[in-house]
Amino acid sequence: MKLFAPMPYSTLEFRLLEAITRPEHESGGWDDARFNDLALEIFRYQREANAPYSQYCNFSKTPRDLEHWREIPAVPTSAFRHAALRTFPETGIVATFQTSGTTGEGFGRHDFRSLRLYETSILAAWEALKIPPLPQVILIRRPGDAPHSSLSHMMGTLGALAPQTWCLDAEGGLDLATFRRASADAIERREPMLLLGTALAFLHLFEQLADTVIPLPPGSLCMETGGYKGTGRSLTKAALYALFHEKLAVEPKSIFNEYSMTELSSQWYTRGLGQPHYGPPWTRALVIDPETGMEVKEGEQGVVRLFDLANLGSVLALQTQDLAIRRGEGFELLGRDPAALPRGCSRAADEMLRSRERKIS
Amino acid sequence: MQTREIARHLAEAARHFPFLGPVTEEGLIALVCAELGDAGRLDGFEPYAPSPSSGQPQTFARAVAPATILHIISGNTAHAGLQSLVRGLLLGSHNWCKIPGEGLPEIARFQSFLPPALAERIEIARELPGAWLTDAEAVVVFGSDETIDYFHARVRSDQRFVAHGHRVSFGVVFDDPGYASVADAARDASLFNQQGCLSPHLFYVPRAIAREYAARLADAMATFEKIDPRGSVSLEEQLAIAAVRDEFAFRAATNPDAAVWQSESSTAWTVILDPDPAFTPSCLNRTVFVKPLPSDQDLAEALEQVRPHLSTVGIFPATVANAARVSPLGVSRICPIGQMQLPPLSWHQDGQPVLTPLVKWIDFEPGPVEKKK
Repeated sequence: MKLFAPMPYSTLEFRLLEAITRPEHESGGWDDARFNDLALEIFRYQREANAPYSQYCNFSKTPRDLEHWREIPAVPTSAFRHAALRTFPETGIVATFQTSGTTGEGFGRHDFRSLRLYETSILAAWEALKIPPLPQVILIRRPGDAPHSSLSHMMGTLGALAPQTWCLDAEGGLDLATFRRASADAIERREPMLLLGTALAFLHLFEQLADTVIPLPPGSLCMETGGYKGTGRSLTKAALYALFHEKLAVEPKSIFNEYSMTELSSQWYTRGLGQPHYGPPWTRALVIDPETGMEVKEGEQGVVRLFDLANLGSVLALQTQDLAIRRGEGFELLGRDPAALPRGCSRAADEMLRSRERKIS
Repeated sequence: MQTREIARHLAEAARHFPFLGPVTEEGLIALVCAELGDAGRLDGFEPYAPSPSSGQPQTFARAVAPATILHIISGNTAHAGLQSLVRGLLLGSHNWCKIPGEGLPEIARFQSFLPPALAERIEIARELPGAWLTDAEAVVVFGSDETIDYFHARVRSDQRFVAHGHRVSFGVVFDDPGYASVADAARDASLFNQQGCLSPHLFYVPRAIAREYAARLADAMATFEKIDPRGSVSLEEQLAIAAVRDEFAFRAATNPDAAVWQSESSTAWTVILDPDPAFTPSCLNRTVFVKPLPSDQDLAEALEQVRPHLSTVGIFPATVANAARVSPLGVSRICPIGQMQLPPLSWHQDGQPVLTPLVKWIDFEPGPVEKKK
């Protein structure tokens, strides 16, 4: 048995920052061996320093020394609602992001001891997407208006790349006048823009535009994120992208989808329709068969498990509840078809609890 | 065909469907008597109130069934759908059965065991013919609030409308030092893969024995699985089970009062010991919670959120005293653990009579009796 003390946070953070920011051609590639070494080092640190995670590993009888990052126990997203999953004391918290929390579940908390890795990861991954530094028009709340939203913070971080125009008010309502002004400016100057927002915000935008069409300048790009969970709305991705084309003259191939979660520090991206999501080199994704807990074969469906080395202060391995098809190193998310929900009275029970909460509130 | 003859044929056909519980000719006639006051009420005029002893003339009444009943049957269980059909046939109505798109073979199978004169009173369709909804004299709907609202908005005021929304059920073990109710609890939680409204989502068990009870329940669930395998479920259903297992594995790791027992390398069955007494809807497919039984008052609070949607509580021991303790909780049926999924034909589904809302009455007030000269 190896008896090394795990590296402290600052040492690991330094190593990660260096690895994440080094240009691709100098990085020697994030081959699996390199990823594996760092992942296991971080796992050892988190198991030592993160008390609830340590209990979880002991409970699941995980050996002290693992051979491969695939064996690292992934915590369910729900764990962030039940325990303070961090490797540092409460006094060290510099920022906390909260999950939106569906009915009756309470909020999940993701505490940070530093946002350096988080922000560096966002910018480095963005750079890897090779998106030009276009002026940004944002349909997401400002970080100051939503201090616990990881998405707002991410958008704020992207402000290091280009000027930004924010089009949601403090309550999250769409400020259509600002959007019209920003898009009119871009059209007049014939300069492409980058439009970022949640899928729901875009839906609201398209509804409020009604019959108006605002063809964005050629070369404009869009990025949408998030679903419609808990909103009572649903629309397939293809239908949403058709609206982008109809209302803004933006083709599906010019639309990115960002997939991540509050419990993580990195993001996975895809472009256009029917393409897999890929993460930056310091992440991995597995697609797991929920029936057996084993990885599915290429092309088969399962549930996504994410590994994110930038998630240094909490847990690097997260078990999501999102279904996807395994596609090489990536995964193709399965749109949540409301009709595909489990049948039976559990769904009904969820519905009745929700309707009751609505009545109470 | 007279009611008694219909009852005999129905009882004969029902023998092929053990999940309907004991359905006998006498039981069916007893249901007619209980709800309509007389076994012959559907066949002709029978004496009705007031009785001659009151000094008023005797009145007579007969109950008239709807010519046609449309049954909108949801996919959860064949049980509720068949019971509804049996009632419709017992009344003497013609029955249109709209079954789920994925099918419900039990209805046609039941039909095949009936004599032609009764079998021809059943028509089955996966897609609802428009005429059925407009022409039915009565419409019985099983389903979600959404489904019920949909049909409610489409029936006319002259059509009788009976709705059975989704319900949830649970069990309460008041005292069981010998763990005598465990196998029955496993049966209730496993039958029909827990899809029905009478399937228990959870069992309340005295705190002192809750962990041991849960462990034994897990063994009993495993045994039931061997005898009657759950079979495969959809990817979404597998995911729901995996997610609740993961969540409670994490909680068990950080809280010694929580625990999870589960089938190996499959989602076939799961037992979760959850220290929080609040009602937790199960993701079903043989996933059941065991929770510590709180005081009677705290139990009412724990069930507050689902109170309007409660159906059955299975209790052990099933004594009158224990029934009195659970009756204020908002349930409409109290039965022994082990019988939760098998209500008698005479049960008041959702707390309501089942034949009365479908029939219309004809009263007859006879004139003075002619005296023979």
